[in-house]
Amino acid sequence: MGEVVEPAQVQPAPERTPWRLLTDLLAQQQRGLIAGVVVGMCWAAAKVSIPRLIRNGIDRGIAGNESLLKWSFIIGVVGVIAGIFTAWRRWLAFRESRITESRLRERLFNHIIRLNVGYHDRAQTGQLMSRASSDLQQLQSFVVMIPLTISNLFQVVAILVLLLTSDPLLALIALAPLPLVNLSARRFSSKIHPAVMAVQNRQAALATVVEESISGVRVVKGFGAEGVQARKLLSEADQIRSVSLEAAKIRSRFLPAIDILPSLGLIGVLAVGGPRVLNGDMTIGQLVEFNSSVMLLIWPMRNIGMTLATGQRAAVALQRVQQVLSTESTVTDPLRPLALPVEGPLGALVLRDVRFGYDPERPVLDGFDVSIPAGTSVAIVGSTGSGKSTITRLMLRFYDVQSGAIEIDGCDLRSLSLNDLRHAVGVVFEDTLLFHDTVAANIAFSFPDAAQERIVSAARLAGADEFIEHLPDGYATLLGERGYSLSGGQRQRIAIARAILADPRVLILDDATSAVDPSKEHEIREAMATVMRNRTTIVIAHRPGTIALADTVLLLDGGRVAAQGTHDELLTGNARYREVLASFAELEAVVDVDVEADADATLIDQPGSDSSIPEPIGGG
Amino acid sequence: MWSMTAVTDDDKLDRETAKKVIRRSWQFARPYRRTTQAALVLVTFWTATSLAGPVIVKYGIDEGLVKKNGHALNMAVAAYVVTTIAAYFIARLQFVYINRAGEGFLRDLRVRVFDHLQRQGLSFFDREKTGVLVSRMTADIESMGELIQWGLLQFVSAGLLVVMSLALLFTLSWELTLLAMVVFPVIVVASVRFQRDSNRVYLTVRECIGNNLSALQEGISGVRVIQAFAREDEQARRFQESNQALFASHMDSIKVSMWYFGLVEFCGILATASMVGVGGYLVHRGSVSVGVVTAFVLLLGSLFDPVQQLSQLYNTVQSAGASLQKLYGILDTAPEVGEIAGAVDLPEVGEVEVHAVGFEYVPGRSVLHDVSITVGIGERLALVGPTGAGKSTLAKLMARLYDPTTGTVAFAGIDLRDATLRSLRQRVVVVPQEGFLFSGTIRDNLAIARPSASDDEIAAALASIGVLDHFLAFPEGLDTEVRERGSRLSAGERQLVALARAALVDPAVLVLDEATSNLDPGTEAEVEHALESLMLDRTVIVVAHRLSTVRRADRIAVVDHGGLLELGSHDELVALGGKYAALSAAWERNQVAAPQPTAPDGSPPVR
Repeated sequence: MGEVVEPAQVQPAPERTPWRLLTDLLAQQQRGLIAGVVVGMCWAAAKVSIPRLIRNGIDRGIAGNESLLKWSFIIGVVGVIAGIFTAWRRWLAFRESRITESRLRERLFNHIIRLNVGYHDRAQTGQLMSRASSDLQQLQSFVVMIPLTISNLFQVVAILVLLLTSDPLLALIALAPLPLVNLSARRFSSKIHPAVMAVQNRQAALATVVEESISGVRVVKGFGAEGVQARKLLSEADQIRSVSLEAAKIRSRFLPAIDILPSLGLIGVLAVGGPRVLNGDMTIGQLVEFNSSVMLLIWPMRNIGMTLATGQRAAVALQRVQQVLSTESTVTDPLRPLALPVEGPLGALVLRDVRFGYDPERPVLDGFDVSIPAGTSVAIVGSTGSGKSTITRLMLRFYDVQSGAIEIDGCDLRSLSLNDLRHAVGVVFEDTLLFHDTVAANIAFSFPDAAQERIVSAARLAGADEFIEHLPDGYATLLGERGYSLSGGQRQRIAIARAILADPRVLILDDATSAVDPSKEHEIREAMATVMRNRTTIVIAHRPGTIALADTVLLLDGGRVAAQGTHDELLTGNARYREVLASFAELEAVVDVDVEADADATLIDQPGSDSSIPEPIGGG
Repeated sequence: MWSMTAVTDDDKLDRETAKKVIRRSWQFARPYRRTTQAALVLVTFWTATSLAGPVIVKYGIDEGLVKKNGHALNMAVAAYVVTTIAAYFIARLQFVYINRAGEGFLRDLRVRVFDHLQRQGLSFFDREKTGVLVSRMTADIESMGELIQWGLLQFVSAGLLVVMSLALLFTLSWELTLLAMVVFPVIVVASVRFQRDSNRVYLTVRECIGNNLSALQEGISGVRVIQAFAREDEQARRFQESNQALFASHMDSIKVSMWYFGLVEFCGILATASMVGVGGYLVHRGSVSVGVVTAFVLLLGSLFDPVQQLSQLYNTVQSAGASLQKLYGILDTAPEVGEIAGAVDLPEVGEVEVHAVGFEYVPGRSVLHDVSITVGIGERLALVGPTGAGKSTLAKLMARLYDPTTGTVAFAGIDLRDATLRSLRQRVVVVPQEGFLFSGTIRDNLAIARPSASDDEIAAALASIGVLDHFLAFPEGLDTEVRERGSRLSAGERQLVALARAALVDPAVLVLDEATSNLDPGTEAEVEHALESLMLDRTVIVVAHRLSTVRRADRIAVVDHGGLLELGSHDELVALGGKYAALSAAWERNQVAAPQPTAPDGSPPVR
């Protein structure tokens, strides 16, 4: 049973067994779980007593002379008890399982967002998501079964004892088919599982055909390939039908059997018990008691089978969760963090002989050496893949240098607490991630408690104030995937406001304008110039206008500083520099955009021209 | 466990719609009617056998045990054995029949809806979201699968069971039946309320799960920003909020279900208690037998269980109804671009003639108006203009991906609307910005364009644009699986496949949409070369984004605000001193930023 385990997840066997994680968690919930078990036992006792009470009602009340009222009253009272305890037992079991799930999810989240970025670069978002969602759900559906199964077991044992002590032979006959129920339930799960997987695989294959035909509808139509796709779909639909019918065959063989097997026990009771009643060895009430008891056993027996199956799935899920939790972040706070100096000119930055590669064998930066005096700015120019953005990652300690050192105001980054470091270094990324929250909260990202005035003034400096005021709810407008969507330029201005509010001593503008429409870039540039004033800044850019914002320019090539100077000096004196810039220019020699960049108003889109119209012929 | 399907108010069908959906499904299921009817007959039998047990026990007790008749007892045992075995085989058969009918129904539904989707015009796909259409064909149909596997049978059999056991109880003893009927309404009312409440609560749970998942996603995919701004604690606090809300909604749902299950348990036992009390009284009076009382005690379950099942299945049935209605909605959408009766084949070559064309995606919002242009045989025309000006739309109209709202587009003097789609697709081929690949091999991806093409023809098409060796160099050659969306190939290689696809058709007219962004540097030159080979000796209409492409065109059409602004060669338009001239000058200025040895003709070097 169980899920397909992704190969990446299996490799290192966790040292602690996965169950240890669960038992630790459950130990914290001892009281709730014990209460669940105790209540469950009361429930089981009530349930078990009912067949005996019915027997007494029939034998003593109906066939005998005792008061009918007495027996039906007792049964009624037990009914009330059973009802209450059924509800209570459910409540406790579900509550405890949800508590486990909920606590573990918080723990996982806390752990995941603190794991080093190197881990996240390798891990897939979807997989981490399923650790904290579907895996925990598997676990929850197992935890809920723990108290329920204990009381079910208690019920089974109690009934078995009652039946065996009152009539061992009849009990054996009545119970004989029940192991078969359990057995066929288990065989059923092992047989149906591959069949269901096959159905799911075929469904996924059909989904691919559908998805491709719709996303690629322009290609399909453009070549008149509807027939080709229709044939593919027909074959997939036929296959789904045939594998589904295979699964149905398995179901048809087992499900009715599981349903009907207990009846065999009932027949046995009638066949063997009947003559005894005729002989006077047994009463009708006893016969009915046997019948009802056997019926009571059916559900718990099936349930125990289910618990075993969910237990196996939960073990796999637990193991995966455990693997994430036992991964230690490789970037951590030092034991005794230094404090950054607070006096004098702040923000002096030195990168000394830095060597770093994602694959240590193939360094991206090697012998990278640069020193940036406090309050000055440097533009880093280099071709795609030259390691520009790697510098940002090293500055934030997303990764640690392999050799050499990076120092801010004389302190090695590794000697600072992560919190201090990341407040000292601010970044405007190429693509700004906005969170599902208000504009204000997105700006006050590094200081959630920042006063409104501080937020507004940061926005004003970033040139974002004006458009924010025009948003439906101003600073309270919700952004993010499910909120109001902003243009690339607007997002970047929010990001700059974010950096201004954080007030870092070192600022990195990591390709901050590349996602912005060139016609809007000059607006961003102004904002960038504002935030750069008197602040140590690294500008990673490829448009000449942005590069010119910095005091000096540095050409990054072959993992080291290949040339350094002003933009004009490099332009005239360095062939490689020209080459790199030209490759960017070629990238951007896009006719319609260029016209807009030229701010020739006549060719700029008229307001109201429909931007929702699909522009490319193909793609989609 | 209670059903976890929830139905929103929007999805609930009113009585009229529900009737229509049922009628239509019955029509749709025509090929499977007999199988369905057989399954229904079998379900009826099966329900009857499951009621037979208690009746036989009653007979055994009354006739055998009470009257001390051994023969009657044996008869009862034998009858019980027979019905049990019969029940097993009937149950197996009903499973097989209902699945055969149901899976057949779903297969037809899949095929029919897909065929219908494919017959829609492009504007349909512009309007509808891909995700929604895909989920109609997948999630919506799959959810009905569950219903077919067991739900439908259970639904029918539960309904039958209530009716049949009531009838049976009535014939056994009307007094005891009336007694049972005192408890019965309580169960019915509780079940209906439970169904309603759990649906409501589950909708909240679903929403909370959604919120929790997005908080989770935000945290994981935003981890770099979160760490960069040292915001882990705040983010954890926010996640905790959504997690606690989810926990609370789960607790609400448990509250709803725990009382229901408790009540049902209580009602069952209460009914048993009253059977013993009142039944016993009636036995003493002599109006019913002990066997009848026993049968009642055993039968009460089959009266109460199905009510619970019905209430739980109700949501599943409702959401299946909603899915069906949506699917029928798709089938009811009329296809847009079609082939008229008596359509003619287009000749091998001809001029492309756009005459007084106007176009609106949305009625009342003109995208193009009064555009006339004729592209000669073998001519290369570049369409230039700002984003949203209508140049891509014009190109699409020339390939009849859309029909013009007014005016005509003709090839060799034949209105495209009068041409057979087959010949149209052979004469005019569109190559999109990015090569769209289907999962399958490289060969499969070429054959999309011409399924009848032989291996030699496919190789020849690749060779004609000079890329055959590139793909033969792969370990599996043209049989290389490109995976979903061609993810195993680079963007440039995907584009090469798309170009080869066009070459395989060997069209007279090529409509190109030039890529705005760079491909991978490795294949850039190869793509450039392949494109040039493909364009050779063909009429080419290119939506141009790079000045280098524009320079190589015979004529340039500047499209702006939905109209044709300027038309002529590069030199003519520069001399004209209009918008194109400004545009060309702007590009020249940009060159200054990166001084570069330029080719004698002034075109930028090809990298």
